[in-house]
Amino acid sequence: MNQEHASLEQYVNMTELLARVDNDRELLAELFTLFREDFPRLHDALHSAVDSGALLQVGNAAHALKGMLANLSIKQGAELAAGVEAAARSGDTPQIRQALAAFDREAAGFSAALDVFMVGWER
Amino acid sequence: MRILIADDETVSRRLLEKTLERAGYEVTAVSDGRRAAEELCRSEGSRLALLDWVMPQLDGPSVCRVVRRKRSQRHVYLILLTSKSSKEDIVEGLESGADDYLIKPFDPGELKARLHTGQRILELEDNLLEAREDMRYKATHDSLTSLLNRGTILELLAGELARKRRNKGSTTIVMGDLDHFKLVNDTYGHIVGDEVLREVGRRLLASVRSYDFVGRYGGEEFLLVLNNCCPGNAMERTEEIRKAIGDLPIRTTQGSIPITMSIGVFASYGSETRPLEEVLSEVDGALYAAKSAGRNCCCLGSDSRL
Repeated sequence: MNQEHASLEQYVNMTELLARVDNDRELLAELFTLFREDFPRLHDALHSAVDSGALLQVGNAAHALKGMLANLSIKQGAELAAGVEAAARSGDTPQIRQALAAFDREAAGFSAALDVFMVGWER
Repeated sequence: MRILIADDETVSRRLLEKTLERAGYEVTAVSDGRRAAEELCRSEGSRLALLDWVMPQLDGPSVCRVVRRKRSQRHVYLILLTSKSSKEDIVEGLESGADDYLIKPFDPGELKARLHTGQRILELEDNLLEAREDMRYKATHDSLTSLLNRGTILELLAGELARKRRNKGSTTIVMGDLDHFKLVNDTYGHIVGDEVLREVGRRLLASVRSYDFVGRYGGEEFLLVLNNCCPGNAMERTEEIRKAIGDLPIRTTQGSIPITMSIGVFASYGSETRPLEEVLSEVDGALYAAKSAGRNCCCLGSDSRL
């Protein structure tokens, strides 16, 4: 296992994910690429919704992020997105901001780890 | 088998697409609920679907409701695949018309097993529909000639006469009886007699239009309903039918056998108000007249409105 892989495994349950893609590493790379394209858009949408206080949109954006992260076995990230979604559904604005801050920290971590992993992959 | 995936989230959609293609499915993928509902409501649309819950235009449960409302002929097996995981969500999803519910992220083995369950149910439905169609056919058709049976041809005739009364149209009723058919059975046996009856059935069907009705009325008696055949053309059409039966001998396993048919004809305008039994008696009388006139000919009923 290389260093990039080890770093990404802090965030991604690789055993589970590889089983899900049937050990197809090309598909795995394709999914990570899609994720890197789409995650920033969804993340920005979540922030915009929080800033504008649109609770329904906050819930929907967090729900989409939760599904995307869960599919890639980014478990902690998915749980934190679920926390934002739950706070939005219950209309708890202070909790939304708190959950979003935790999610942002986690997102920064797995995004950076994924960037490193993909550079290693492309080499 | 074809399957529809509806998911607005790209990673999930691509992952499902690839997983299902590997499992041998022909995949159609859409990214919103409206397109999913359109695809599933098409008569030739996918009958197996994986639907996300939260989607633009129409959410997964709404897609289920639309499909259940609009498509009644054949079942579409709908699976909601969502990260909504509470008991309330599951109940709401299934109550909306979904057949099954899976929580994201999916396990590939479980997903395939659930899809196999769906396929089994669809196959079971196909088998039941096929069996129902088979039973319907057997209940309405004569097993020897595959023509309509007596009950069905009479029912269709009654309906046609009633319709023509309303629309003031015309109908020609033809009753044909094979001449000396008993002699065929006595000479060649019943198996050859059956061969003759089958071939007569084929010739009768080939001599009428797709919207006419042909039935086996009795042993060697046949009843034909020529829809929209005006009385002026009735005898000409009937002569064609008589020739279709008698012009060429029928080839059987015991050699070629010449066969002729005597035909009684009743041509009716929409003004016909007599009950079916009287109309049949009229055409039967015309058939009797054809027999009396030397057979292998057509006679018109005396009350025909020419």
